Amino acid sequence: MLEIKCPHCGLRSQNEFSYGGDSNTKRPELGKEVSDKDWDNFIYLRDNPRGKHSELWHHVAGCRQWFKVLRDTSTHEIFKTAKLTEEL
Amino acid sequence: MKLAVTSLEHIHKKGRFGNYQKQSGKKLLEISEVKNLAIIHLVQYKKSKIQPNTIKLENLELPLDNPKVTANKETRILWSAPRTWLIISSKKNIISNIKNKCDRENFAITDISHSRAVIQIKGPQAKEVLKKGCPININEIQVDNCAGTVFNGITVVIDFVNNDPDTFNLLALRSFGETFYHHITDSALEFGYAGV
Repeated sequence: MLEIKCPHCGLRSQNEFSYGGDSNTKRPELGKEVSDKDWDNFIYLRDNPRGKHSELWHHVAGCRQWFKVLRDTSTHEIFKTAKLTEEL
Repeated sequence: MKLAVTSLEHIHKKGRFGNYQKQSGKKLLEISEVKNLAIIHLVQYKKSKIQPNTIKLENLELPLDNPKVTANKETRILWSAPRTWLIISSKKNIISNIKNKCDRENFAITDISHSRAVIQIKGPQAKEVLKKGCPININEIQVDNCAGTVFNGITVVIDFVNNDPDTFNLLALRSFGETFYHHITDSALEFGYAGV
């Protein structure tokens, strides 16, 4: 079980959180023409790195806020967490 | 006036249960349903420029960070998230007072009184009961602290009301009320408890 430091609530157990995927994914800009390939990439294509990965997590049973987590996918070590408005 | 049916109206049982006979000399854990509370969810909009520390509700400041609670005899204001508070009061008309202080341009005010099951556990073993299902460090929680967490997988808000004896108000979604009540009472059987 991981312990994750929510930037608002402090250190909490993983079962209060929900994983939200890669935090670097950017939605295609609104109002612009998007090719099928770009849209497909945005929906489905993800990196699957071994090592440091910047992720989104949701403190679903606590403050219900989304935040960023820098985690090692092989060791599960969490290096840093930050609010959405902050840099990791 | 007929009062609304509470979530545990037909679930909560009064009497003594579990190992209460082995607790001679100790004060028995009490479990009760807290009824007729006004529960108001208050959210300050992101665009709002009002400083929350300038607002006072029922002479109480809005707590600005986790895990604080401001309280008086009738009302408790729980920090719930950034710019978000849970106001729990025995004053039924509190929503009109809140509307007077928090205008619609800056705040969303929602009455969620009937959407929560509220269980109070009171007694020296109250912390031990919570430890059986909560992943947070219950030993670190102080009086007038609150925490949004889980109890055996059910999302709950824990409000530490008093430490003489330890008294916690536990709020769960109404639809989880019955399951949550059974989780709490099952955890309390080891110590014995009185349903009051």
